[in-house]
Amino acid sequence: MSSIAPQPVTRHPEPIIKVVDLKKSFSEREVLKGVSFEVFAGETLGIIGPSGCGKSTILRLLCGLLQPDGGQIIKTSDNIGLVFQSSALLNSLTVRQNLALPLRLQHLSRKEQERRIQEGLKLVGLAEYIDSYPSQLSGGQQKRTSFARAIVGNPKIILYDEPTTGLDPVMSTIIEDYMIQLEAQLHAASIVVTHQYSTWTRTADRVVMLHAGKVVWEGKPPEAEGSNNPYIRQFAHATREGPMLSNSV
Amino acid sequence: MQLPANNHRLNPISFLESWFASGVQIFGHTIILLFATTKLILTGKIDWREVSRQSYMIGVKSFAVVGITALFTGFAMSLQIARELVLFGADTSIGGVVSLALIREIGPITAGVTLAGRVGSAIAAELTTMNITEQIDALEVMRIDPVEFLVVPRYLAGLFMMPVLSIYAMSIGLIAGINIAHSAANLPMATFLDSVKQTILDRDFTVHFIKAFINATIVIMFSCSIGLSTRGGAEDVGIATTRAIVWTMTMIFVFNYIVTALTYAPR
Ligand SMILES: Nc1ncnc2c1ncn2[C@@H]1O[C@H](COP(=O)(O)OP(=O)(O)OP(=O)(O)O)[C@@H](O)[C@H]1O
Ligand SMILES: [Mg+2]
Repeated sequence: MSSIAPQPVTRHPEPIIKVVDLKKSFSEREVLKGVSFEVFAGETLGIIGPSGCGKSTILRLLCGLLQPDGGQIIKTSDNIGLVFQSSALLNSLTVRQNLALPLRLQHLSRKEQERRIQEGLKLVGLAEYIDSYPSQLSGGQQKRTSFARAIVGNPKIILYDEPTTGLDPVMSTIIEDYMIQLEAQLHAASIVVTHQYSTWTRTADRVVMLHAGKVVWEGKPPEAEGSNNPYIRQFAHATREGPMLSNSV
Repeated sequence: MQLPANNHRLNPISFLESWFASGVQIFGHTIILLFATTKLILTGKIDWREVSRQSYMIGVKSFAVVGITALFTGFAMSLQIARELVLFGADTSIGGVVSLALIREIGPITAGVTLAGRVGSAIAAELTTMNITEQIDALEVMRIDPVEFLVVPRYLAGLFMMPVLSIYAMSIGLIAGINIAHSAANLPMATFLDSVKQTILDRDFTVHFIKAFINATIVIMFSCSIGLSTRGGAEDVGIATTRAIVWTMTMIFVFNYIVTALTYAPR
């Protein structure tokens, strides 16, 4: 697996993101019961786990959309790109205007801004949709636009919530390749949340697995399949036999 | 902020309690939003292109509805006034009385209430939908202030367009009055307008504009604050829309009276 991308594992002493004992409840229901991890520059952390275990919640906490009930989040940058699970494009704006939003703070010249937008769209294969509105795009095209919007501002932290869900296999691979390329190019700290096996095995340098509000496994993707840990075993092999019941979450 | 769901049991006390609590919350949130918006405007954080786009949506597109509403309100009111004044042999003052009613009360109220129905509901629905589909969250992640991006242009557009629409409503009402005076009381237009000129003072225009600005503030601020604070599912769009119409209309009538009482009460 690691042969796919040249991954610079030049670890800086200080992590870009440091999460310590993170806790979050929604009206009595404790979703996160003390989660800790670190992400360094130039590294991608995969977060996996059953549906509803709080993966999106972690990303929302990281970008300040939610406040934690306990624990600490330390980040060294506020320039965050987030690919929303739901795309979250602004419906009243065209694709071009959506991509211009993260560039507002950077005070670029009109020409440079346009160049960056075109480049971002070309990357996800949507150059000819630049003047379309989100409602005129398919779900997968919206997802790709959302991806382009998240990275067009050269963020220091990139958070991907299901970046490849709903895409065809070829486009998934293209997006994964691009995530790998970006990791080296931007030297950003990335977190990818995904259910898609190929996505976390290909793009993540390390993976944490969540279950019932706790980290139950942490390791490198190639270690997942052969691991003795019952949770990651069940998850990697997609079987019914194991500690996770399909109806327990 | 999240508004409490209206899932109280059929207990009148708890009903009143939650009704009052959500009322205080909406009012408080609206006041805070008004301060935040004003501060952004005073510091020049204004996207003029968006202001003109919103002015078109809020103002220009409302001309037909406001016109029709004002026309028929003007017809009905003038008919009543003409009828009574003719009985007293005071037909020459029909113009004065009709125009007083129009400039002081009917013009601003008609424009305000029409805008509350047409624009307040649309803003509440739009912003609630944006909230539900995480568009507002997306703005925040991109470090774009939703108040600056969404509320400021709408508020400025409201402040520009509401006085125009109020004066327009008044003028249409006056045309209705001239028509009725002519057809029902056989009054020539010149006599009507003479009476208008003699009756209306500069102060009436001042109060007219004060009411227009207040109505704009009510319509835009309540609908924005309700839209921005409603989350949940698709059904909440309907709830927010209704809530916005109820709040803006009620507040328009309340504040209209407060201004009237402060400016015209006999001393
Ligand atoms: N705003 C909220 N209010 C109440 N409960 C919430 C809220 N957001 C999330 N939850 C709850 O927290 C839990 C975790 O949600 P989250 O969206 O983080 O799951 P997830 O791991 O991303 O799942 P999926 O893989 O299906 O996307 C869910 O049970 C959800 O019901
Ligand atoms: Mg999720």
